[in-house]
Amino acid sequence: MLLAPSVLIVTLFIIVPILDSICKSFTDYKIINIIKGIAPQWNSFANYIKLFESGTLTASVGVTFTFVITTTLLSLVIGMTLALILNSDIKGARFFRSVMMTPWVVPTVISALVWIWIYQPQYGLFRYVVNVLTFGRVSDFAMLNSSSTALIGVIIVALWKQIPLMTLLLLAGLQNVPSDILEAAQLDGANGAVGFFKITVPYMSSVIKTSVSMIIIDNFKQFPLFWQMTSGGPNGSTTTLAVLSYKEAFINHNFGSGAAVTTIWMLIMIVFVFLYNKLFPKADIE
Amino acid sequence: MSIKTKKTLLNVFKWAVLLIIMFFLLFPIYWVVLTSFKTNMESYLYPPTFLPKAPTLEGFINLFTNYPEFFIYYKNNIIVSALSTILVCMVALFSGYALSRVRINWNKYVIAFLLFSQMFPVVSRLISLYGLLRDWGLLNTTAGLVLSITAGQLPFSITLMASFFDAVPRDLEEAAFIDGASRFKTMFQVVMPLVIPGLLAVGIYSFLVAWDDYLYASTLIQNDALRTLSTGVTLRYLGELSYDWSLVNSISVVGTLPMVFVFFFFQKYMIKGLTAGAVKG
Repeated sequence: MLLAPSVLIVTLFIIVPILDSICKSFTDYKIINIIKGIAPQWNSFANYIKLFESGTLTASVGVTFTFVITTTLLSLVIGMTLALILNSDIKGARFFRSVMMTPWVVPTVISALVWIWIYQPQYGLFRYVVNVLTFGRVSDFAMLNSSSTALIGVIIVALWKQIPLMTLLLLAGLQNVPSDILEAAQLDGANGAVGFFKITVPYMSSVIKTSVSMIIIDNFKQFPLFWQMTSGGPNGSTTTLAVLSYKEAFINHNFGSGAAVTTIWMLIMIVFVFLYNKLFPKADIE
Repeated sequence: MSIKTKKTLLNVFKWAVLLIIMFFLLFPIYWVVLTSFKTNMESYLYPPTFLPKAPTLEGFINLFTNYPEFFIYYKNNIIVSALSTILVCMVALFSGYALSRVRINWNKYVIAFLLFSQMFPVVSRLISLYGLLRDWGLLNTTAGLVLSITAGQLPFSITLMASFFDAVPRDLEEAAFIDGASRFKTMFQVVMPLVIPGLLAVGIYSFLVAWDDYLYASTLIQNDALRTLSTGVTLRYLGELSYDWSLVNSISVVGTLPMVFVFFFFQKYMIKGLTAGAVKG
């Protein structure tokens, strides 16, 4: 009985819409159907075939995976580095731990604004920095305007926003690592790297696993950064599944096609999470 | 190499890495605050200036006097975030209690189901919510937006809340039962006070997430008077006005400040809640 309100809200606003959108992906369902109140027409796999034939779907799957994998790995590595440094007896660790969280509380849309300004092609800081670092050889660097660097530009912002949380979670995990075992290993002559991979990582495996899967899901869902910074361009080089589905549904007003994209996306997510859980089973060191 | 020089080298290396990462995380913030205090003319200088030549409040004054709609978006954002936070807290409190204390066989499936539902793309839900909310008469209303945002946050909040209830020892309740207190009485007077830190964590988290929303508001709200911060800012100031960078940066500062305050005030609870959720997994 106490569960009733949550079951009701979750069913009405999550389950029903998801099932409904799967059904809609097999129909011809455009804005006109909503305005005129015409029921969507069944067209079996037409939406899917069209998406595959135009090549946009496969391209966006590639972009999505590049983005998710690169961002997740880098934020794990950088977050772990920062967490290890802050966990050692360095001066001012408490202070750093608290100010490092600032990017995380900056709203996503505003983070995009911040970095659009930094990347700004004429007056931006980045153009200046690149100019100085290359001794004036590259004087008109525009991160988001070229299809070879635009995705990197968005990845940098995504990292900027998620490294703080990653570090915070890993720091909490480091508290579980018994320092006496580490010290004993060091006395026995194990160097830092051995101690890290043989002791620290195994003790933290469950924290690493949960925080990585959290960040993978967030990165799969990332939309506002892309939409604000590049709208999927230039030349589709930053069109992820999220951008593609939004474009199909809410810009081209073809809801059926948008639903087809999200259905494929859901299947990919399910397979991905399943494989992830298979590859990295939860280690039970408590 | 002696042990001492090795240690010093390691320390220098540690500090160097720390400062590089910190620079990456914090310099953009400095840059935005800096630009917001520059005149628009100065923000257009190339190469850019790293300290304002003539610090000015021009951008802020301009924002406060010439852009009243910004404050409507701001107010709407506060309303939507506050309402969904209250709703999330209430529902998560009862459901979390139920999941933790009322042992039914399918509890485990409810949790798996909740966690699973978080994975689904938001756009997928929005495509059909757009049609469904229209049928229910909730499209373009604050209520529709608040309910949709709340639903998206419930899975995480409920499981987090349940983990806080799990941490409260059962003996406490049993003692109260034996003293003749009813189930509701024990729930409100014995257990609830102990999970207040958890509830705060859930509340702050959901406020931050709701404040951050862009997708829901951009699809479910078309009426300018109901727009929230993210969508309002994007639609109004990024296109036509993106030449007034001093203004855009002032907007960034004003739009972020409340979050910074909320976070630094409640940091303790927030960190506890988030890490409890993840570390427990």
